[in-house]
Amino acid sequence: MPIIHTAELTQSYGARKAIESVSLSVESGEILGFLGPNGAGKSTTIRILLGFLKAASGRATILDQDCWTQSATIKRDVGYVPGDVRLYPWLTASRAIKLASKVRGQDLRQNGLELCEIFALEPNLPARKMSRGNRQKLSLLLALAHRPRVLVLDEPTSGLDPIIQVALLDQLRQMSQQGHTVLFSSHTISEVETLCSRVAMIRRGKIVVDQSIESLRAKAPRVVRMQLKSEEVFRSIAWPNSLIQVKQDGVQVEATLVGPSIDFANWLVTQPIVDFSIIPPSLDALFRDYYELNGECEPIPGSSDETQVSEGAT
Amino acid sequence: MLGLLGKIFYETRWQSLLFGLGLAIVMSLLTALLPKVMGDIDQMFSKLPFIKPLITALLGVDPGDQLTATMSQAFLWVHPTVLTLIWAHELMFCTRTPAGEIDRGTIDFLLSLPISRWRVFLAETIAWLASGFVVIGLGFAGHLITSQFTQAEMRPPWMLTFYIMVNLLALYLAVGSVAFLASAMSDRRYRAIGVVFCLLLASFLLNFIAQFWNPLSDATSATSIAGPAQDHPFISWFSIVSYYRPAIIIRTGQFPMLDVGVLAGVAAISWSVAAAIFGRRNICTV
Repeated sequence: MPIIHTAELTQSYGARKAIESVSLSVESGEILGFLGPNGAGKSTTIRILLGFLKAASGRATILDQDCWTQSATIKRDVGYVPGDVRLYPWLTASRAIKLASKVRGQDLRQNGLELCEIFALEPNLPARKMSRGNRQKLSLLLALAHRPRVLVLDEPTSGLDPIIQVALLDQLRQMSQQGHTVLFSSHTISEVETLCSRVAMIRRGKIVVDQSIESLRAKAPRVVRMQLKSEEVFRSIAWPNSLIQVKQDGVQVEATLVGPSIDFANWLVTQPIVDFSIIPPSLDALFRDYYELNGECEPIPGSSDETQVSEGAT
Repeated sequence: MLGLLGKIFYETRWQSLLFGLGLAIVMSLLTALLPKVMGDIDQMFSKLPFIKPLITALLGVDPGDQLTATMSQAFLWVHPTVLTLIWAHELMFCTRTPAGEIDRGTIDFLLSLPISRWRVFLAETIAWLASGFVVIGLGFAGHLITSQFTQAEMRPPWMLTFYIMVNLLALYLAVGSVAFLASAMSDRRYRAIGVVFCLLLASFLLNFIAQFWNPLSDATSATSIAGPAQDHPFISWFSIVSYYRPAIIIRTGQFPMLDVGVLAGVAAISWSVAAAIFGRRNICTV
């Protein structure tokens, strides 16, 4: 049973469709990276999950409970960090812990103070005197203090310094290992790549990618740099189909490798090539393609296996 | 719920206390000064004829050519400063949630807690009622204390004072509930406050215009306690302030059942609709 589940969610703001037929599932202990450019529909999807918005159609559940009708019950087990953290000016970390303890009926002081230490947050500094990063830390503290089974984080690292970002990602990894489920929305591909086991990407309100990091990595283009024996041999080489966008600059050749590396390696040893290097695959380029695509999204070039493409994609 | 109430009281404690103290000072001053000012009211009526319809609109009844000390006491309860303080307090209070919370973006924090919107609304309502008791109670205390040092006519008979307080509380409930409704329908607090302020202004103007609607109405208004329906032309039915008439209570000594009933009805309907809208509406903070 998925912990977070949405089925064909659609929501509009006036005439503009914010999201369309968004279907997602996050299993127990999984960290799902939820990627997309600004205005793609990430926050709308999250706000439906939190019960702030009622979907025009489709269904959203967390822990098998309806996100709209059972929103208050669900939140006992959910920690949430909004994309744009705004807090009461008087709220300090210690007051926030006290308030959350009373409302949740749990003593959160111990966890709260530990998190204050991890995030280097002053317990008695009011939000009106906090920097953006500190307000983000306070919001994180409130989301994590009750050790929720489900975490919904909307760009949680924005405004945080690199040290705290690392501390947060470590914390999330630990929680995931303990069976907590995380929906991690972000713009930053690199942090999603290092943290998440699976990625869903939303673009113009539609899910265009939903698959594991490993399978995406396998499909991600790798840059190959080769050094030829001489400039002249370039024309005599029969370049395989797995190498695309081959460019020559003297004895240096650069190309993009798609497909398995082993086939390329087997081919390489038979060629008049002095040296070569393969730059490890990065999801950046892959996602940039999706971000920058005009018109309808298409599946990743060269992919053949489990690529899931949302409805509407060709 | 207790945690939420604690948060609301923490946020509104100074506001309620300051409005309460302000009202206590104003009511104390009015109690001391009104009998002196009202003694010359007949001269004022002849020199400034527009004053009389204004006072009639406020009192909900024609004061006649002279204001007695007892009627001065009624004027105390409808004095614009008194009503302005009470309404300002509740406009600020009742538009806090959801309009105020959405406006400043803190509703995300509030609704991320495991508490239903209904409970949030209920907690705000309980706190608003409690603060209303504090504010009006402090105002009454100011009047009560000062009245011990003024002429005996300014000392409120207990039963009549109780009736006036109930009528005032019913008006407080009605105005606050309309403010809750405006807040539930809005994403911007200033807009919700503006709407209710305009409604109150229109309500007062309607009551004022009603004085000129039918000259014959004045003849009946002096004694009737049945409610605005029988005192004024039909246009004043739509004025919420026309159901608050301490002068009638003082003059007749009877409980204003119909006025309180109408105000309580307006309050119940507005509050229920506000709760339903808040429970079902989409919350957008961006």
